[in-house]
Amino acid sequence: MTLSDTIAGLLGLNANDPLQFGIAAIIASTIVGTFMLVNVAIAGPWAKRKITATFTDRIAVNRIGPFGLMIIVADAVRLLSKELIVPEKVDRPAWDLAPLVIAGSALFGFAVIPMGSGIQVADPEVGLAYVFAVASLASVGLVMAGYASNNKYSMLGGLRAVAQNLAYEIPLVLTGVSVVLFAGTLQLGNVNAANTIVGAQQATLATVGGIEIPSWYAFVNPFAFMLFLVANLAEVGRNPFDTPEAPTEIVAGYQTEYSSVYFVLMYLGEFIHIFLGGAIIATIFLGGPAGPVLPGIVWFLVKIWAVFLLTQWARSALPRVRIDQLIEIGWKGMLVLSFANLILTAIIVGVVV
Amino acid sequence: MSLEDPGPRDVGLTKTGDVNYDELESLLGDDVLGREEHLNAEAFVIRPDAVQDVLSTLKTDAGFDNCNCVTAQEYQDRYETIYHLTKYDDRTQEVGVVVPTSKDNPVSESAEPVFRTADWHEREAYDLVGIEYEGHPDPRRILLPETWQGHPLSMDYDQTKPQVVTLRENKNPLEEDQRLNDDSDTMLLNIGPHHPATHGVLHVEATLDGEQVADVEPDIGYIHRCEEQMCQQGTYRHQIMPYPDRWDWGGAGLLNEWAYARTAETLADIDVPEYAQVIRTMSGELSRILSHMLAVAAYALDVVGDFTATFMYGMQDREVVQNILEDLTGQRLMFNYFRLGGVAWDLPEPRGEFFEQIRAFIDDLPEKLEEYHNLLTSNEILQIRTVDTGRLEPEIAKSYGATGPVARGSGIDYDIRRDDPYGYYDKLDWNVVTEDGCDNYARLLVRLQEVEESAKIINQCVDLLEGWPEEDRTIQANVPRTIKPEPDTEVYKSVEAAKGELGIYIRSDGTDTPARFKIRGGSFSNLQTLPEMAEGEYIADLIASLGSLDTIMGEVDR
Repeated sequence: MTLSDTIAGLLGLNANDPLQFGIAAIIASTIVGTFMLVNVAIAGPWAKRKITATFTDRIAVNRIGPFGLMIIVADAVRLLSKELIVPEKVDRPAWDLAPLVIAGSALFGFAVIPMGSGIQVADPEVGLAYVFAVASLASVGLVMAGYASNNKYSMLGGLRAVAQNLAYEIPLVLTGVSVVLFAGTLQLGNVNAANTIVGAQQATLATVGGIEIPSWYAFVNPFAFMLFLVANLAEVGRNPFDTPEAPTEIVAGYQTEYSSVYFVLMYLGEFIHIFLGGAIIATIFLGGPAGPVLPGIVWFLVKIWAVFLLTQWARSALPRVRIDQLIEIGWKGMLVLSFANLILTAIIVGVVV
Repeated sequence: MSLEDPGPRDVGLTKTGDVNYDELESLLGDDVLGREEHLNAEAFVIRPDAVQDVLSTLKTDAGFDNCNCVTAQEYQDRYETIYHLTKYDDRTQEVGVVVPTSKDNPVSESAEPVFRTADWHEREAYDLVGIEYEGHPDPRRILLPETWQGHPLSMDYDQTKPQVVTLRENKNPLEEDQRLNDDSDTMLLNIGPHHPATHGVLHVEATLDGEQVADVEPDIGYIHRCEEQMCQQGTYRHQIMPYPDRWDWGGAGLLNEWAYARTAETLADIDVPEYAQVIRTMSGELSRILSHMLAVAAYALDVVGDFTATFMYGMQDREVVQNILEDLTGQRLMFNYFRLGGVAWDLPEPRGEFFEQIRAFIDDLPEKLEEYHNLLTSNEILQIRTVDTGRLEPEIAKSYGATGPVARGSGIDYDIRRDDPYGYYDKLDWNVVTEDGCDNYARLLVRLQEVEESAKIINQCVDLLEGWPEEDRTIQANVPRTIKPEPDTEVYKSVEAAKGELGIYIRSDGTDTPARFKIRGGSFSNLQTLPEMAEGEYIADLIASLGSLDTIMGEVDR
């Protein structure tokens, strides 16, 4: 039962009529999209500042509203009211489309993520493949931004972004595939649907002192989980892998020339990407929206925010690697390890299970 | 150094180990036109076409391997370039090489083939004074714009004439896209003058081959503020002292003040009371900690990233020192605390509380430094980023006149505090930190360890000050209201400032203001080494190397 089905049922629409079901799906997507954007709105102007400030012994925003929360509104107004500077000789419309592609592609991914409490727009059989596919679309946006900006720093940033994404996309997907081997399906499903990725994680792995430990793939295969976490850090471009932006080296990389609302979209895209990364990790390694006592949606939020916290932690503490070292880690280290993991998983699945 | 048996390196030395100028003169032979007596050392006046001969003889035969400074000036009847030579092994051995040139043809031979550091120094001499150097590889202006008319420190320069440097006349930095030739795949990248990692207004023209740096050229002069000229207009007694603070806004202001104090005190023959020396030493080292902490914190920004916790930790730890110095000097940045012959005022009352404050800082320091080592030097990612990148071999560093932590990071055991002692340093127990790595990592380590050594010095100073008898607390010598040194007295003295050796040359003309005031900024020479370190490496390493030099544009552009 997806959110689209529920809405169709509530509105009395015929789920078998593509037009009527489409309306229900659009409403469902709007709800999920808005929900994620609210998360990003809290994360970007407020939570990120507070978290970084805690790591660096500062106070950060505390002037407007309780805990400085109204900075979200103030910052939104400030950013949107700034002048949109369009540099000479930018390659339009690629330059204008890039922020949309970057922000949009990540948002697409949430269409199939089971967020618990029945919130999931769609549940196709190729769910996991779909998520990886749309998430990688961002690379196209990065190239567009880097190339169209007519700025050498942007160009360097765009090239770095592509090189980095190529180097990490493959280990990321390969590690994801090991989960598919376990589950035997690409469908993400939900907590109650057996024979789906999330559903398969609900079985009990072991009982320690009366507490049942679910067979989340992070527990079943911690090695794959670590690989995926690292590859995901690179995928979203956070320390130690923030080379495409590397503000002290190449100013701001591909987003150097973006201001005002385009800047907001770029930033938005980055944060949605981090949350999408968190959502994928939660779904395929941390049992999806499952958890004791609290409703699924709360556990889902806890998990994606935990991943967000991890990226901020890495950002405050870990030095950035050089671009050539990064590529080396990707192709020579991660790729090999992810293949090893894949073979290992295949053996475990083939022999043990 | 053995006294009985002078070896080949001891040419030009007396048996007691002093410089034997007579022997040096005979070594140089016909090139010498005469001798001059400067307060710091004797100088040979030589023929303008024999500069390379003389300098290379002094360098290879007599061991004067440190071309510390090049001063250019104009007299009524001639131009003059002075090469201040000394030795990395023994800073007290100095010799000046004076190269006079005629008014109508101010050309002398370039010293660049002998000392690489002469490259920038001679460009500056040409830019500001108007002397030309034959055989100089790159005879352009360095501080002023290319379109500038006249030479500001020359006698016929009209200071009231407006200089119009229009945007059109300025070279468009965006115009040239490729450097080497049109077929190559290189790209010119302007790093700065406004860039997050240039730590001020430095412009680095980098030619890139992909991500690799094919060619680097630092372009300086964006905040040239005529500091030398301003100092020439101030009186010795009080009006010059505020300026040195403005050559380093990284906190090392007191050390810079000391450079002027030392030079002017040598010039006017002033003895500083011991009590004031101890205060100077203590406050100077606090100042060094301020500067080094900032350098380390900013280096974390360059290498770790712009949300690093290390930067804020550095700023917080600095804040403690900042407060101590504020209590002492009344200022947080432009201290203006030193006076000729001593310091402005005594330690703040109650003294016990002040000492307590310093002690508390010193006691906390080891724990704090441990944190920096955890976050930075022992971090593996930082190590792969900095170890063996930005290599600066000792021989190259010497040729560029590199000093301070940059030289000591290349294994050159050179520290003026020990080698040519001043203040109270020679009576205290501390060590000169050197690292043999020659790379970005070594320079970082040197700075962190020097903070420890500074703390050691401060601790001993506090001990001394606590026990100092009350009737003996003279903070200033008896200095005449107006200082008028004998005409044509020349002196060049330097101190170990935070960034490197800060030297000042003064020539008096009998009035109460200097006739020539030349500043040798440590960062000026250190920055010149950047191409040696960065060429052939990646952009990220270029940034890391630039950060590891810890240059401050205030003493580069002056």
